[in-house]
Amino acid sequence: MMAEDHVVTRRTVLRMLGTLGAAAGGLVAGVPGTVRAQALGQNESVQDAMKRLFGGKPIKDGAALIKLDLPLIAENGAVVPVSVNVDSPMTPTSYVKHIYVVADKNRIPVVTRVTLAPEAGRAFMGANIRLGESGDVRAIVEQSDGTLLQVKREVKVTVGGCGG
Amino acid sequence: MSDIGKVRLRVPTSIKPGDVVQVRSLVIHPMERIERDAQGKIIQRNYNYINKVIVTYLGKTVATFDTTQSVAENPFFSFTFKATDPGQLKVQFLDTTGGRYEGTVEIKFS
Repeated sequence: MMAEDHVVTRRTVLRMLGTLGAAAGGLVAGVPGTVRAQALGQNESVQDAMKRLFGGKPIKDGAALIKLDLPLIAENGAVVPVSVNVDSPMTPTSYVKHIYVVADKNRIPVVTRVTLAPEAGRAFMGANIRLGESGDVRAIVEQSDGTLLQVKREVKVTVGGCGG
Repeated sequence: MSDIGKVRLRVPTSIKPGDVVQVRSLVIHPMERIERDAQGKIIQRNYNYINKVIVTYLGKTVATFDTTQSVAENPFFSFTFKATDPGQLKVQFLDTTGGRYEGTVEIKFS
């Protein structure tokens, strides 16, 4: 009897916790979630986006280390494959922390920010992105020591894919 | 769209211990774009798109993608991880409406 009581209380507590958790989850996804999403992707010019993300920190040319793979001409701007490969040892002392992909001409220029751990083994990311119109696409790499490196490539878009 | 949230993961067929493995992942998701009214003003509402992708291997986070609406519909992401031990690789996709979709794959050595 005692044991059963105990089980019931535990269950009730767990259920309560579950509801709380779900509520908290909803909250995170709802209000602050949108705030966080806006914090990364906003309707702004690329200059504002760069200023917001990196402040005034100097960004060096990373052509020697970063390989940015993009089509020269994207026939359909709605789906453009992009991949970034960075030459990095990926050890706990020296690794690539973030890879940013920024499309200059998009209304929301920041496309994605990838956070990597040394366990990734290689500093690589690939994704399908949208491009509103022809323009530069840049990959910005933040290394574990805070160094910023950038490469950019121009892509010609035949049919834009960013409606809004 | 009943297919929303369908996740597909693809890993190479043969993996050796210590290999850096490239994984391709795909999720079926509309990734709604910002809509504008006739005056060109943005219609404010909570657009449903994926804003976070989390990759965990053996319980450790290997990579996270913070994404915006500039990512294509039915987004495809690829990434690498270093296969040290057999175990589970999990990819979770979170969207702005609280949706949570995940795919897992068992990493085995052959």
